[in-house]
Amino acid sequence: MIIDKNATILYYLLPKFFKEAEKVEWMKNLKEYVPPSFVVERDDYRCIRCKACVEQCSFGATFYDEDEDKVWNWNAKCVGCNRCAAICPTEAITVKRADPTYRYNHNWNTHIDGLKKRAIFGGTPVVSMGNDKPYPIYWDHMLLNASQVTNPSIDPLREPMELKTFLGRKPAKVEVSDSGLKTRLAPQLELEIPIMFAAMSYGALSYNVIESLGRAAQYMGTYYNSGEGGLNKDHYKFKGNIIVQVASGRFGVHKDYLDVGSAIEIKIGQGAKPGIGGHLPGEKVSETISETRMMPKGSDALSPAPHHDVYSIEDLRQLIYALKEATEYKKPVAVKIAAVHNVAAIASGVARAGADIVVIDGFKGGTGASPQVIRDNIGLPLEVALAVVDERLRSEGIRQDVSIVASGGIRNSMDVVKAIALGADAVYIGTAALIAIGCTMCQQCHTGKCAWGISTQDPHLSKRVNPDIASKRLINLLEVWALEIKETMGAMGINSIESLRGNRLNLRGVGLNEKELEILGILPAGE
Amino acid sequence: MRVVIVGNSVAAINAIEAIREKDKISKITVISDESYRAYSHPLLPNLVIGEVSRSEERFYYRRNDFYEKNKVDTLLGKRVVKILQKQKQVILENDEKIEYDKLLIACGGKPIKPPMEGLELEGVHTLTNIKSADKLRKDLKNIKHCVVIGGGLIGSKTAEKLAKKGIKVTLVELMRRVLYPVLDDTAADYIHKELKSLGVELILNDSVSAILGDKRVKEVELKSGKKIEADGVVVAVGVAPNMDMAKEAGLEVNKGVVVNDFMQTSDENIFAAGDVAEAYDMVLGIKRPIPILPLAARQGRIAGLNILGGDVKYKGGFATNSITIGKVSFISMGIVDSDELEILKIKKDGEYRKFLIDEENRLKGMILVGNIEKAGMFNWMIQNKLDVSWMKDTFLNSDFGWKYFNKAFRVLRLDRKIK
Amino acid sequence: MKVVKIKEDNCVYCHLCEVACIVEHSQSKDIIKAFKREERPIARCSVEFNYPVSLSVMCRHCDDAPCMEACQNGSMHRDERGYVVVNPDTCVGCWMCIMACPYGVIKRDTRREIWGLSTKCDLCPDREIPACVEACPNEALTFEEL
Repeated sequence: MIIDKNATILYYLLPKFFKEAEKVEWMKNLKEYVPPSFVVERDDYRCIRCKACVEQCSFGATFYDEDEDKVWNWNAKCVGCNRCAAICPTEAITVKRADPTYRYNHNWNTHIDGLKKRAIFGGTPVVSMGNDKPYPIYWDHMLLNASQVTNPSIDPLREPMELKTFLGRKPAKVEVSDSGLKTRLAPQLELEIPIMFAAMSYGALSYNVIESLGRAAQYMGTYYNSGEGGLNKDHYKFKGNIIVQVASGRFGVHKDYLDVGSAIEIKIGQGAKPGIGGHLPGEKVSETISETRMMPKGSDALSPAPHHDVYSIEDLRQLIYALKEATEYKKPVAVKIAAVHNVAAIASGVARAGADIVVIDGFKGGTGASPQVIRDNIGLPLEVALAVVDERLRSEGIRQDVSIVASGGIRNSMDVVKAIALGADAVYIGTAALIAIGCTMCQQCHTGKCAWGISTQDPHLSKRVNPDIASKRLINLLEVWALEIKETMGAMGINSIESLRGNRLNLRGVGLNEKELEILGILPAGE
Repeated sequence: MRVVIVGNSVAAINAIEAIREKDKISKITVISDESYRAYSHPLLPNLVIGEVSRSEERFYYRRNDFYEKNKVDTLLGKRVVKILQKQKQVILENDEKIEYDKLLIACGGKPIKPPMEGLELEGVHTLTNIKSADKLRKDLKNIKHCVVIGGGLIGSKTAEKLAKKGIKVTLVELMRRVLYPVLDDTAADYIHKELKSLGVELILNDSVSAILGDKRVKEVELKSGKKIEADGVVVAVGVAPNMDMAKEAGLEVNKGVVVNDFMQTSDENIFAAGDVAEAYDMVLGIKRPIPILPLAARQGRIAGLNILGGDVKYKGGFATNSITIGKVSFISMGIVDSDELEILKIKKDGEYRKFLIDEENRLKGMILVGNIEKAGMFNWMIQNKLDVSWMKDTFLNSDFGWKYFNKAFRVLRLDRKIK
Repeated sequence: MKVVKIKEDNCVYCHLCEVACIVEHSQSKDIIKAFKREERPIARCSVEFNYPVSLSVMCRHCDDAPCMEACQNGSMHRDERGYVVVNPDTCVGCWMCIMACPYGVIKRDTRREIWGLSTKCDLCPDREIPACVEACPNEALTFEEL
């Protein structure tokens, strides 16, 4: 366990990769008791002592006692990743949530553990993945329209459905001549489907996962975002399908990096932790990571909160144009902002600063590591941010100056449809892609001990993601979502994404109050 | 083409298989003074005490229909006495003449008879073929105390099996340890302990000077002067190549029938393979007879291929042994003891590992006692003269295996079906 | 002739190949009975681990198999499918095949009364795809021509 008394960030819940039982655990009981969150139940009849679960548990929770010939668990170390249950060949294992043993108390129950941990360890907890608190999900309060009788629906099996879309600055009007388009267009990104893979850095994720994302993006004709960790040279082969990110830490940003990207994204903020910078714990800065990020091995990679050369919108404009100059104006420059209270005004400023694409990251977005208090309390829902940004840009007459990409908690193809209907040009998926590969949302990415081999740099664990299998899964995911979107669009009587974009008349709100409906800009069901 | 093979054991069978892979037409004749199909010589001690019988398939080298399936004519129970090089004929004991285009001498070895009196007494046996095994088996009921002369491969195995049958056994060995050329002192110690626990009395650094008795052996006198009462003796001091016939025929012989890299003798139409041949030892760098089963098989095969006109080279062999005495198993190869080679060894509970490496970092020999898994990997290293400098410090691990090599090596070798 | 191809980059050291091999070669072919009620068969494939390397090795079914050459009574032979297999009725457990195998993939079974038994991968004669290949959760073992 690492305690840095000077820093405000500290990691607990950082179990080591045990190979033998650490029977001294019980000694800490009274001094540091927090009830386990999970209980591993093992059916003794079914357990054949193959010890697959012992080897696969990367959190040191599973042991084999040779003398007793029994497999047993330290429940306190179990993080509920379910790797053991998945690998067990006889279904002997069930991982259950340990019911809290405190008396029921609506006000305090979910806070007792957190309070105690802060008191015991003297640091603020770091977590991973997106906000897990029961804030309202607006996607689930929106219903889509379907066409019937008066305007017939479209049969997606027999008529072409256009999922293609272009991201970039569009001119206010175009002039055509006999020889074609006269108006010179700003550089565009061509997407076969309006879904891209969100920014997840190499460092937060393992090499094999990035490989899989790249292959899937290439196959499907879309893009994946490199995240703020730079690009491993082996991934330059995905040129043509990468959006490279320039974040406040400027990790791995050099000429070749910019050259490989089809677009450059300036990361101003991230939905999971608005207002603070990126975070890669030292455990995950391996040899190759340190090479890629151009920083010392083993030290924490902390990106500063603001870009230290961007303190005003004018500074941002300068940075945008500096990047455009560096890439000869051939590539769109995107700006990613976190959804915060004045996101509309910020987005307007970003559009006027010369960005081609604005990425809005809602508060449910995932992260590799973030202080829990920030993740759970700061930001704005994506649905709301998207609606207000789209509305503001339209009302200012500059909507065509930028493409909007929505990001942060997109869970299924219907969220994609609703996001586009609210005004997005395309969406980013991060968490959903990882779940497709195998993630079970145990929220331990920051430990670098991901039992599924996804968010780790440990070479032994990273093998658990086989790029052949994982890329196929991602391709399956995108193809199925594409099919579902086409089916839905057909039902709605729309045959292209362009017609769906901003088409709020196709949405109706249920269970929302007047103000919410007004802000989202949709009618209530029935009207 | 007429191919004649003198001998009917491992080398001969492999030569037949090699020839028949490509050539179904040439006539192959096998001449052997034994009247059985090819059998497993290492199982003779088991045959003696009845663990295996001559009616079991287990005892034989190939199935009953081998000769028929491979269209081989067999002249069994006939002995070849002369080879006439110029006329390309072999002459049998009954003066029958068999003509050949190519001849393969694969007649193996014969037991060395040490110069001592009493060898002709009743109860004195050797153990190198079915005939002698049968004779000993029938005599077992008359033997209560047996002296086994020689603690080599045959001697130790025989001592073990006889002791298992309840006979009191005394093993007399000339050198300071049994299995002298095949083990070192530390490894042999395991064997000594095991033999003793099986009830075998070991007398080392001594030899039998005379076997005494009237009609039947009564006692045995050792060089040291000691006398041992015995009503049975097994003489197992060694096996020498059966090369008299070749020598008489004018072929080049030394300790065995000398062959070149293609298994040819000094006559290009006459080949030799197996225990009778003196072929290249690639660890010692000289030619010498190595009477080891896998080498006989390989030499026979190469001889067969070259008889057909091929030019397959024999890359050389070296001694390899896999023996189990009681509960102790060991595998040893190449040079097992030396002052000039770098030695890596470790002795653990029930396990002994020893590796000998020359100054060019080539593995030259090894001994594994107890944990013999993966021994073949070292066989490969010796054969291919692998530079082991980068991984020799992992040899002593009990869990030695593929994980200690580097990835490039693994991918290269595991991706192939051939070594 | 297809054999099991080993891709060590994908091996996660879960041992399920060994488990599947044991079940396949058991009497009951039932995973729980094979491990708890029967005399447990020996796994023909071996998983090796030396952090971070892990891989499973088994017989390569060589074209010119040294184990067949070394076998003293022809127990090691090539079956109709073309794979190298041991005849358990004739094997005497002399371990000369272990001495010869350059891949070190033959194991000893010393549980029989008089004779030992050389145990090695027989490429699952009762199956279309070998058990280890089917059981590997990460495609570290595939069934293809080498």
